[in-house]
Amino acid sequence: MTQKIENLSALVDGELHDEQLLDAIKSDAELADKWQSYHLIRDGLRKEMAAQINFDIAANVAAALVSEPAILAPKKSWRDLPLISSVVPFAKQGGQMAVAASVAVAMIIGVQQFNQPEVEQPFNSAPALLGIQGGLSPVSLEQTRTLPRADASEQRRVINAYLNDHKQQLRFKAAPDESEVELYDTEQSSNVENIPQR
Amino acid sequence: MTLNSQATLKTYRKDRSSKFIRQISLVCLTFLSFSSIGQSDDIAQADINAQADNDVHESISVSTPPDSYTQQIKAFPSDSAHGWLEKMAYAHRNLNYSISFVLLKPGVDSQPYLWRHGVSEQGVKMEQLNLLNGPGREVVRIGNKVSYFEPNVPPYSLQSNVINGPFPSEFFQQPDEIKASYDFVMVGRSRVSGRAAQQIRVVSKDKSRFGMNVWLDQETGLMLKMNLVDLNGQLLEQIQVTACHVTEQPDDFFEKIEPAMLPEVLELRPQAHTKAIWDIAYMPVGMVEVKRDIHRLPITGLSVEYVMLSDGLVDVSIYMRESQNDGINQDILLRHESDTLLTLNKGKLNVTVVGKLPPETANHIANSIHLATTP
Repeated sequence: MTQKIENLSALVDGELHDEQLLDAIKSDAELADKWQSYHLIRDGLRKEMAAQINFDIAANVAAALVSEPAILAPKKSWRDLPLISSVVPFAKQGGQMAVAASVAVAMIIGVQQFNQPEVEQPFNSAPALLGIQGGLSPVSLEQTRTLPRADASEQRRVINAYLNDHKQQLRFKAAPDESEVELYDTEQSSNVENIPQR
Repeated sequence: MTLNSQATLKTYRKDRSSKFIRQISLVCLTFLSFSSIGQSDDIAQADINAQADNDVHESISVSTPPDSYTQQIKAFPSDSAHGWLEKMAYAHRNLNYSISFVLLKPGVDSQPYLWRHGVSEQGVKMEQLNLLNGPGREVVRIGNKVSYFEPNVPPYSLQSNVINGPFPSEFFQQPDEIKASYDFVMVGRSRVSGRAAQQIRVVSKDKSRFGMNVWLDQETGLMLKMNLVDLNGQLLEQIQVTACHVTEQPDDFFEKIEPAMLPEVLELRPQAHTKAIWDIAYMPVGMVEVKRDIHRLPITGLSVEYVMLSDGLVDVSIYMRESQNDGINQDILLRHESDTLLTLNKGKLNVTVVGKLPPETANHIANSIHLATTP
């Protein structure tokens, strides 16, 4: 069997062409399953995955339904005791309130969480050269991601400032003194206006 | 179940076959395009061959004037590096020439330039440097007035006798200036741009700066190729001349320039020499402080104490400021094109060195900076 699976893998990779194996796949359900999943894996690896994948779950559902025991009579639970049955509605109501409140809290937190990265968007525009590329420690993800990024962009600004200024300074490098000019260009006339206008 | 998998199998096959067809068509396309490229290559090759044939009779990339014009140049001794450099300087200052060259820098597209030089009848030196790609950038020098015409900036002029361009103009005009910091070595002859050329190597005396390899035209002494190399001989920057024309008369272009129409010379207010707060203890051999002031950086507006060091070939900017707790106090070392940028934090001092320097030298300079002892 393992040999067959190996051959199947080779077949999927296009390294093997075996009619016998193809026939075996047709007749063997397990191999056919493997065939399908190997192709899925291959497509995933090659990034050729379809945008929407339709897994065939009908068979599993059918199997689950078959093995599901039919409920003939409901079990007696603690809710059916007389005292508790009258308390439960109150508890239920209270529970609903609590659920509503927690939903509200979750909303607020969610909105806050959601809004945070928005503010920092401008700083994230360029890929960070330095700092941790988040994803390693989900616990402090927000912290490790945002701070170095803002830092890196600030650093880039400073570096650009230095480079620009260096260029400018080279351009505006103090012109040599007149005496020096004389020294090297003795025959140069200082009167520029004398150029003939032909 | 079997039926199901067979169905998948079929669809897979169908998928596969369509994919196969797509792949085949792609391969065909690539093949087609490759063959067409190959064809054009052949044509280009034929062109080059034709040009080479022409070169035998008449040089296309290089044209030289009658012998009488270059007589003086030939008088320079060609048995020493120094003699060659004198010849180069004389040629660059006194000949009428028009040179096309390409500048290659790491991380940047190649930049073609046109460089013209002429001497008027009155003896005024005229020079033009024109970037031929993109919106362009043109620099014109008449005597010691250099006018810059650049996109997005109103044109302006500066008082200077050299153009600040992609190559060290000062070196070509006054190579003696850097004798204190560099050794000149005559290497050998080779063929550059279809011309016989003499190679001269320029090496810093204390091995603290990048070196240069210059190829000079055997006949005229003009630059044909220039390599900027790091201490291990790795190429950093290259200038390759593609055409060179030496003429008896200055180019017509210079006749069209009306000196009166050139932009006004910018008055650079020389700042009062501020009292130095920081001292630089180490400078590479031959380097001197040419400028010191306090100014603000363009983008961030940070106020810095600025010092420029120069040895005539390389200019180095040093920025010093007090460290602040603004989260940017990291030590940085990076290379931008062929410039090295180093930022160091030493206690209260934040020092940044920018320039065409090996990182070790930048580090040495930065580490030698200390608080000036009050006089």
